[in-house]
Amino acid sequence: MLAIKVLGSGCANCKRLEQIAQKVVANLAIEAEIIKVTDFAEIMKYNILSTPGLVINEKVVSSGRIPTPAEVTTFVTNALMAA
Amino acid sequence: MDILAFLSKLLYGGLGNLAAYLAAHVLLCLLPAFYIAGAMTALIPKETVTRFLGRNTPKFISYPAAALAGSVLAVCSCTIVPLFAGIYKKGAGLGPAITFLFFAPAANILALVYTGGVIGADLAFARLFLSLAFGIGIGLIMALIFRKEDAEHDAATDAMFAAQRSMRRAALVFLLILVALLLSGTLKVGLLTDTYTTFTLPVSGMDRFQDFLYNLVPYDASKGEEGVTAQGALLIGLLVLIGLASWKGLEKIHDKFTAWTWVAMGLVGLTLLVASLGMSPHAGGLDILITGKFFGVLLALGVLTLLAWKGLSRDELRDWLWESWRFIKQIFPLLVVGVFAVGVIRVLIKPEWIETLAGQNTLLGNLAGVIFGVFMYFPTLVEVPIAKMFLSLGMHRGPLLAYLMADPELSLQSILIVSTIIGKLKSWVYVAWVALFSTLAGLIYGAWVDGTSIGLVALYLILFLSLLAGVLWLVNRRNQQKTAAEKASAD
Repeated sequence: MLAIKVLGSGCANCKRLEQIAQKVVANLAIEAEIIKVTDFAEIMKYNILSTPGLVINEKVVSSGRIPTPAEVTTFVTNALMAA
Repeated sequence: MDILAFLSKLLYGGLGNLAAYLAAHVLLCLLPAFYIAGAMTALIPKETVTRFLGRNTPKFISYPAAALAGSVLAVCSCTIVPLFAGIYKKGAGLGPAITFLFFAPAANILALVYTGGVIGADLAFARLFLSLAFGIGIGLIMALIFRKEDAEHDAATDAMFAAQRSMRRAALVFLLILVALLLSGTLKVGLLTDTYTTFTLPVSGMDRFQDFLYNLVPYDASKGEEGVTAQGALLIGLLVLIGLASWKGLEKIHDKFTAWTWVAMGLVGLTLLVASLGMSPHAGGLDILITGKFFGVLLALGVLTLLAWKGLSRDELRDWLWESWRFIKQIFPLLVVGVFAVGVIRVLIKPEWIETLAGQNTLLGNLAGVIFGVFMYFPTLVEVPIAKMFLSLGMHRGPLLAYLMADPELSLQSILIVSTIIGKLKSWVYVAWVALFSTLAGLIYGAWVDGTSIGLVALYLILFLSLLAGVLWLVNRRNQQKTAAEKASAD
C-alpha cells in the first residue's frame, strides 16, 4: 500500500493538490492512504522550500507547484513499480 | 429621515470610491501586476535565489539575497512561511530570515506597483529603498541580539539550499515583456501619453451616459476625488466578464485547457487595450484617441502571445495562469471590500483630526502613523487605499510612509507566524525594532519631502546607519570576548 502525503498548512493550493491525489488514486483503483500534513515542524523535515509538497512513500516527488493529474499518475505508478 | 440620508451618504461614499478605483487605477497597473506575480511564482525556480541562503554563504551575500527572495519569490504565505522557516532553521540563520520577512510584504511586485499607481512613484521608491536598508539593518540587529540561540542551529546541515538551477531564457524574456507591458501602461512619459491619431465613432448618447454616471457617483475634484467616466464603466464591465470567464476557464485548468481559458486571456488583453485608449464622448459621438500607450500595450501583448505559444511549455503556461488567477481570486475580493470600506470611513473622518495629528512631519505624527499601522490589521494591499485616504485628508507624506512601512510588516498574521517559528520573545523584539525603524523612515522621508536637500538626508541616513553599525560592532566584540572568556574558564 502506498502512503501519499500532502504537505501544506491549508492554503488553496494544498487543498487542490489533495483533490488531485484523491482523484488519481480513485482512477487507478489502487490501495493508498492519503495523509494531510499540516504541522510545520513535520513539513520542515522533508526539506522543501515552498508548499504544497507531495510525498510518496517518504520520497518528495514535487514541491512548490500543483502537478497535473497526469504527472501525479506517473509519480504513483513509478512508486508502485519501485515497491 | 436624517439617519437615512446619513446612511445613503455613507453608501455613496463607498460605492463612489470603489467605482473610481476600479475604473481609474486598478486596470492598467494592477491587472498586469497580478500576472507578473503569477509569472514570478510559476516561472522563477526558487533555487536561483535560495542557493545563496545556505549556512556557509558570507553575510554580504546572504542578506541581499534574502531581500531579493522576499521581493521576487514571496507574494503569498505559501512561500513566505516555508522559506522563512527554512532560512531560519536550516539556512543562513535568524538575520537573513528576518530580512526576508521584513522585505517580502513591503517590496513584492504587487505592493510596489499598487503604491506607485495609487499614491505616486516617489512613495513606492521610498518604500522600496528604506525597506531594503532597514530590512537588512533589523536582520543584523536580531542576529546579534540572539547570537547564542542562532549558533545552536549551526549543527544542522544546509543540504536544502545546495540545489542550483537557473531560469530558462524563454521564461525570463516572458517575464521581462510582462514588466514592459506594465510600464508601457503606467509610465507617464510624453512618448506614451501623446495622442497620435483620433477618430470618431458615431455612437450617440455616450455623453449623456457619462453625465448620468457623474450624477450617479458624485465627486468633488477639489478633494482629490475622481468620477467614473463612460470608459471607466466600460472597463468595470470588462472586469466582471474577465472574472466570469476566468472562473470557467482557469478554475479547472489542471484538468485541461478549455475554450474559456482562451476567452479569459483574450478579455484580459482587450481590457488592457481599451484602458490604454483615450476616450472623450461628446454630442456628436465618441472620440477615440490613439495614444502611444496603445501601441506599447499592443506590441507587448503581441510578443507575449507569441512567447506563450512558442517559448513556454504547456506546464509553465498552466502554472503561470493558475498562480495569477489564484492571486486575483485571493486578493481582489478583499481589495474590493477594503476600498468600499475606505470610502465609507472617509465620510466619517474629519480632515482636521488628521491634520492636527499628522499634518506635519513631526516625531508625534510619525509615531501616530506607526501605531495605527501596528494596531490595525488590513488584508494585503488594502493599506494602500487607506494611505491614499489619509493623504487626501491632509496627512503629511512622512507619517504616511511610516504607516505604510509598519502596517504590512506588523500584521497579526505575520507576528503569529514569526512567534510559532522563532518564539515569543524574539518576535516582540522584532516588532519593537520595526516600529522604531518605521518611525525613522517616515521622519527621514518627510524631511526630504519638506525640502531638505538630498545630500543632507543621505547624510542623516549614513550617520544613523554608521551609528547603528558601530553599536552592533561593539556589542559583537564584547560578545566574542565573553564567549572566549567562557570557553577559557570552561577549559
